[in-house]
Amino acid sequence: MSKNISENTMGKIKLTILRVIVYAILIFLTFLCLFFFYLMIINATRSNAQLATGFSLLPKENFFVNLKNAWNDASINIPRGMLNSLIIALSAAILTTYFSALTAYGVHVYDFKGKRFVFTFIMAVMMIPAQVSALGFVQLMTKMNLLNSYIPLIIPSIAAPVVFFYMKQYMESVLPLDIIGAARVDGSSEFRTFNTIVLPIMKPALAVQMIFSFVSSWNNYFVPALLLDKAEMKTVPIMIAQLRSADYSKFDMGKVYMFILLAILPVLIVYIFLSKSIIKGVTAGSVKG
Amino acid sequence: MKKTETGTRKIKSVSYAKWGYIFITPFFLTYFVFTLIPQFLTIYNSFFETYRDGLTQIGPNFVGLENYATLFAPDPSGTVLIFKYALNTLVMWFAGALPQFVIAMLLALFFTSYRLNIKGQSFFKTVIYMPNLIMAAAFSMLFFTLFSRVGPIQGLLESWGVLDHSFDFFAFRITVRGMVALMNFLMWFGNTTIVLMAGIMGIDQALFESATIDGANSVQVFFQVTMPLLMPIFVYCLITAMIGGIQMFDVPQVLTKGDGIPNGTTRTLVMYLNGYLRTKNYGMAGAISVIIFIITGVLGAIVYRMLSAQYKDSGRKHRERRGNVL
Amino acid sequence: MKKAIAILLAMLMIFSMAACTSKPADSGTPEPAEENQEQEQGKVFNIYAWNEEFKGFFEKYYNVPDGVTVNWIINPSDNGVYQQKLDEALLNQENAAADEKIDMFLAEADYIGKYVDSDYTMDISQIGFQNAPTMYDYTIKAASDQNGVCKGVSFQCCPAAVIYRKSIAKDVLGTDVPDEVQAALDSWEKFDAVAAEAKAKGYYMTASFAETFRAFSNNCTSPWVDANNNLQFDDQINAWIEQTEKYVENGYTLATAGVWDQEKTDQMFKTGKTMCFFGPAWYYNFCMTNAMDPENGCVGDWCIIQGPQAYFWGGTWLLAATGSDNTEMLKDIFETFTVNEDVCTKLVENENQYPNNTAVVEKFANDPNYGNTAILDGQNDIAAFSKLAGNIKWENHTNYDQILNEGLQNKLQEYFKGSVTKEEAMQNFYQLIRETYPAIKLP
Repeated sequence: MSKNISENTMGKIKLTILRVIVYAILIFLTFLCLFFFYLMIINATRSNAQLATGFSLLPKENFFVNLKNAWNDASINIPRGMLNSLIIALSAAILTTYFSALTAYGVHVYDFKGKRFVFTFIMAVMMIPAQVSALGFVQLMTKMNLLNSYIPLIIPSIAAPVVFFYMKQYMESVLPLDIIGAARVDGSSEFRTFNTIVLPIMKPALAVQMIFSFVSSWNNYFVPALLLDKAEMKTVPIMIAQLRSADYSKFDMGKVYMFILLAILPVLIVYIFLSKSIIKGVTAGSVKG
Repeated sequence: MKKTETGTRKIKSVSYAKWGYIFITPFFLTYFVFTLIPQFLTIYNSFFETYRDGLTQIGPNFVGLENYATLFAPDPSGTVLIFKYALNTLVMWFAGALPQFVIAMLLALFFTSYRLNIKGQSFFKTVIYMPNLIMAAAFSMLFFTLFSRVGPIQGLLESWGVLDHSFDFFAFRITVRGMVALMNFLMWFGNTTIVLMAGIMGIDQALFESATIDGANSVQVFFQVTMPLLMPIFVYCLITAMIGGIQMFDVPQVLTKGDGIPNGTTRTLVMYLNGYLRTKNYGMAGAISVIIFIITGVLGAIVYRMLSAQYKDSGRKHRERRGNVL
Repeated sequence: MKKAIAILLAMLMIFSMAACTSKPADSGTPEPAEENQEQEQGKVFNIYAWNEEFKGFFEKYYNVPDGVTVNWIINPSDNGVYQQKLDEALLNQENAAADEKIDMFLAEADYIGKYVDSDYTMDISQIGFQNAPTMYDYTIKAASDQNGVCKGVSFQCCPAAVIYRKSIAKDVLGTDVPDEVQAALDSWEKFDAVAAEAKAKGYYMTASFAETFRAFSNNCTSPWVDANNNLQFDDQINAWIEQTEKYVENGYTLATAGVWDQEKTDQMFKTGKTMCFFGPAWYYNFCMTNAMDPENGCVGDWCIIQGPQAYFWGGTWLLAATGSDNTEMLKDIFETFTVNEDVCTKLVENENQYPNNTAVVEKFANDPNYGNTAILDGQNDIAAFSKLAGNIKWENHTNYDQILNEGLQNKLQEYFKGSVTKEEAMQNFYQLIRETYPAIKLP
């Protein structure tokens, strides 16, 4: 008996030590994840001259001055960029979720010739990145006179194989086909059934994919940078990259930190409010948005 | 809701086939115009000499495989640049992915361990996932300013006496690659953790219990029960991460202004492609695109096989675990 | 639930409509109704530029005619991005809608030739503009094609000087009087010797490895590529490389700081340890904002002299784009920034510029009451610059200069920093050329 107890306490001590180590690792990783962003926020509150004096963990009083400077900067029109990014990201997110659900529904519910091929095809092209067709894409858009237009950044999101796959999976697990049958009996047209019955059932999946598409579109740099060059059309990532090749001599570093903060702020805000469902979305989907 | 199929299956196949076509048309039309045609154009371009000399367009002249020959020809110092850039990409990817997977696996085990019973899980998960959503270009710009010669990190390390004032984070291969790897690690380990956690939680608890009753210690349980059952998800994560790795662009591009300093050791394949795209050398850009296409194609084929195997599986089995892809 | 879907669909429609209309609407103004003007003049004036410098002056000193919207299309010049975007737009100029056509674009000394020698720029005499005798000859030559047809004007003249910190000069040389400092720095040998003395006292001679580059490169006696498109290194370029090797090795300069880097401009704070900077009048506003920082700057601690070798640097030309439908406005802009003495005077007084108008220059140079106090110690910098301006010659330029000049600096910086060998740096430079200009033949 006593041996058992001592083994038990040994086990408890071991467990405690293990816990300490685990928490230490977790705290370290938390620190690593937050540290750089903390510095960014702190530095966004400091003036150029204060920044030149080096490292500091304490905020200064220049936040609103930097905000004003960044917001009103002539060469990097960040409010316009944010608006542009918002228009593109929101439209793309809506199109992507709606049409992916529609396509998935088409494949899931109907039997038609070539259905297997369709499914196989989408699965096969799922992993091909946009970069490998970027050249032809830019060439084609140039020919179609769509440079400096949002169309090439929004419309292609209708065909998003990864989102399609997610929707298809989701339908398989939650969409009862008898509901569709019942709707038909009630005389509902196919589109109506999809829009008024299926979409509401899909709401959690739509929401998750909407967030992921929004974020990835907001952060997208490669293709927009090849297509947009008018100041009033540029998106946030292009402006941030432009910051990198700006003439620093003209630059106020406090403003630079403020630009970076503004670039990631919308996504951060979305995340703060929706982190639970976003993380759940990753878990449920296992497919990166 | 859970008792779906079986009975209802037959209802759907009446005469609604045309709706199937109608519903998938937008997808395929879009895909055809914005991806398929560009894809063929890209490949087509790779067989032509076509570039700009100032305001003069040279070509397009058909040159067969010459662009590919140029691409694989060694420069005077004997380096084949595309290999160099492919290796850079691989090294930087690996330096970020190794800790990403090790840490993610550890965290997934910690979080799912009943014995450890970690408190504040949702807080930690929220924090570690956060960098995944950060704009890579902005994150990279942030690192550039923080680690610059006059940035706060250098200042801090100097004041601690760790670094000499002459030190420059951007002068060494290892530090620049390190920064890229660190950013990639931070951006992805949270995501991987969460996916692996879902995988572990999907494993039947009874298996762990019986293993423990059989006297297996936690290391044995991990290697003999958890890992084999987790393998499909793990490999899926790994390969999607590799495909992501091949696309590596935003971070090193912004960090090094596209130069891949020092000595081109942080230049990735897509940065190489981007260089030619910007100078409108579509022949060379096409050839590089095709190479990247082939690499992703091979990796994608593996994922495809896994997914479709998995898919058939989940299709056959009951599907009540909602939305669990794997 | 239905409501949610309805909202979703409505949003979808709105945004897809927004997406489809965003292109034509990008000018941000409603399409004005066709008005009857004497000559069919456009309502939208598109200007391509690579920074905000001229935009600032334009907005302050030019009155845009009623009903005309000015669009600025600004892309950074770094790595040739500006040229690439501009080229793309020019090649598309013929097919572009009238309001989308470029009316005017800005070009820098490094690549103006490429545009001037093309059909994408138009003879300014065709729009009724005559070059004035008050303009500096080299600015006209630079904007003229091989047949002497002039395609644009410059609003500035860019003789460049050594801008030195008086307090540091006093410490190193024992004097801060321009003439005496000039006497101590009037050749590269002397300059190098003073660099050693400055180093001994804990100062840097220059704050960037590339600070003296333009002083050498603008005195080249041969162009970057010869008639057969072979790359060649001028003696001046080699001299710069040699000098920089020595400066980096001896710690006279900062190998880590490029000309535009923050690390260099931080040296212009009061706490800076650097004696000399190299630049023309535009350098004040462009690079020296830290020196003018109210808290940590050092206004009044600066003077200019010719330095070891007279040179010029940069300059912004305004070129008339072929196909512009705003020719009257073009002419007007050209006049405002070159002939209009009032505006040129303001450019000096308010903007610390050195204008392309000798009449205005002489006025300031001979004005005993004029002195630059915005940054200098009250020295008459216009007088000093005007002595240098006469020396500027426009020769040995190629269309490739920007990438070659900047590329050489970038690639060699890695060598100066010690990351690569000189051989590797040169290979990287050649690789850059191969990728950018396949037509250039490499050694």
